[in-house]
Amino acid sequence: MNFAVETNGLSKSFGKVRAIDSVSLRVGQGEIYGFLGLNGAGKTTTIRALLGMIRPSAGAVRVLGQAVGPNGRGPWRRVGHLVERPAAYPELTVRENLEIARRLQGIPDRDTTSRIIERLGLASYAARKAGGLSTGNLQRLGLARALLHEPELLILDEPANGLDPAGVVEIRELLASLAREKGVTVFMSSHILTEVDRLATRIGIIHKGNLLEELEAEKLEELRSQRLEIKAHNLEAAQCALTQAGYAVKVSGSTLLLYEARAIEAPDEVATILVNAGAPPTRLAVEQEMLEDYFLRLTGGKE
Amino acid sequence: MNAFLSAFWAEALKARRSKVSLLTVAAFSLLPIVDGLFMFILKNPERARAMGLINAKAQITAGVADWPTYFQVLLLGTAIGGAILFAFITAWVFGREFSDHTIKEILALPTPRGVIVGAKFVLTAAWMLGLSLLIFVIGLGIGMAVDIPGWSQELVESSFWSLMLVALLTFMLMPFVAWFASVGRGYLPPLGWAFLTMALAQIAIVLGWGDWFPWSVPGLLSSLNGPRAEPIGMHSYVVVLLVFVAGIAATFAWWQSADQAR
Repeated sequence: MNFAVETNGLSKSFGKVRAIDSVSLRVGQGEIYGFLGLNGAGKTTTIRALLGMIRPSAGAVRVLGQAVGPNGRGPWRRVGHLVERPAAYPELTVRENLEIARRLQGIPDRDTTSRIIERLGLASYAARKAGGLSTGNLQRLGLARALLHEPELLILDEPANGLDPAGVVEIRELLASLAREKGVTVFMSSHILTEVDRLATRIGIIHKGNLLEELEAEKLEELRSQRLEIKAHNLEAAQCALTQAGYAVKVSGSTLLLYEARAIEAPDEVATILVNAGAPPTRLAVEQEMLEDYFLRLTGGKE
Repeated sequence: MNAFLSAFWAEALKARRSKVSLLTVAAFSLLPIVDGLFMFILKNPERARAMGLINAKAQITAGVADWPTYFQVLLLGTAIGGAILFAFITAWVFGREFSDHTIKEILALPTPRGVIVGAKFVLTAAWMLGLSLLIFVIGLGIGMAVDIPGWSQELVESSFWSLMLVALLTFMLMPFVAWFASVGRGYLPPLGWAFLTMALAQIAIVLGWGDWFPWSVPGLLSSLNGPRAEPIGMHSYVVVLLVFVAGIAATFAWWQSADQAR
């Protein structure tokens, strides 16, 4: 299979600090790959290595079937990127910044700039100097630059950074449609799990420079543990009745939590016990573990 | 060639939109204006005497009010002012990518990094050439307005080429400033380097090794007829050329292969 992104034993050290350690990941064509990690986990270092901006201490990187660097070599005409917070020439307008990008991408069609300005909702800011843009609009400018040349592969570092909630949804839908309709491969890093969860088809989790896990997005759903959440007016009586019935009860604020399969699979039995004990539930719901909790459970276990 | 033209267009746009370009024009234009003022004072000793301090300084620098002296001061000013101003331009052209964090936007592009660096060097060269031509033209205008005696077509031509030579030699010392701007990721390291080399150039001249020290050569060349005349020979041009080539090579190599982790 041809992978859009492929790293083998990719490591990078800065002095004595091992920023990434033997990262081997594969991103298939057309996939939306969510690269998850806490701040400082090694996401940006990996992305910089994918783009040939740093020389790996060990290992190799292939992007769209081509070996990356040294000397800036790579299939950059077919790759759009956004690394860390986007930067722009502050005294140049949004349009001029994009014109520079268009020319450096070697795109002869002058209308390309106008089209991407429209597409990213930057039309009313086109003549504004980049130095005066809000963080969100600067992020849009960065995304516009990444998408300008209609790349086959997008390598995006925290693409939702600085965007307002509507902007986050808009960009998510844009990336999803690019993948769906044009077969664009997206490699995006994030520390916001729900963002990745809603978009990615596959997820890689990096922690302290190590790739802990690579899994399909559906698989992640399965792996997140479930629990039965119970609320009652008489919480003590409810807890007592469930403990007597042999359940392991955990208390979280004004909520009782049951993690056992027999509770999750038969919440009606739990309800019966509570009613019989004179502590009927005011809320009884099977909830999936928060993605954040799963993530912290996974990374915490590998400290 | 297309890639180079695109990169040069981008560099030129950045320079045009920046206040730095106007600032350098204003700063360098001061040179012929001040030079012309000295000539005016020297030509009009009564007024000069009334101005006291300025008269004393004017006599130390220039001496007599004629075209040869006028051009000599312009030349010396280009060597000294150029060393600072050209370094400032180079530091800005290269250092701004780091200062504005735009470096990461120009590393993974179809336009090779070497082409971008080349375009930056060509832009600095064009910028410095433009400034040198500008001060010569302004200098001529002011000199004519002041009506300095001793004009000759031959003198104008030889002074023009001397000015161009001093500007060229000063430009050839700039690639190391570009290298410092790149390695130091900003403006301060290259400017620190420029001031350090200026100080060392003076020391080298005092020690009598100025003709062998590249950073002393433009200054020596511009004061050949003055009291500090020293033998500028082929070896002096060669050391400047070596520094130029080494600086260019170091800057290109750094952009090609250094880690861009910030």
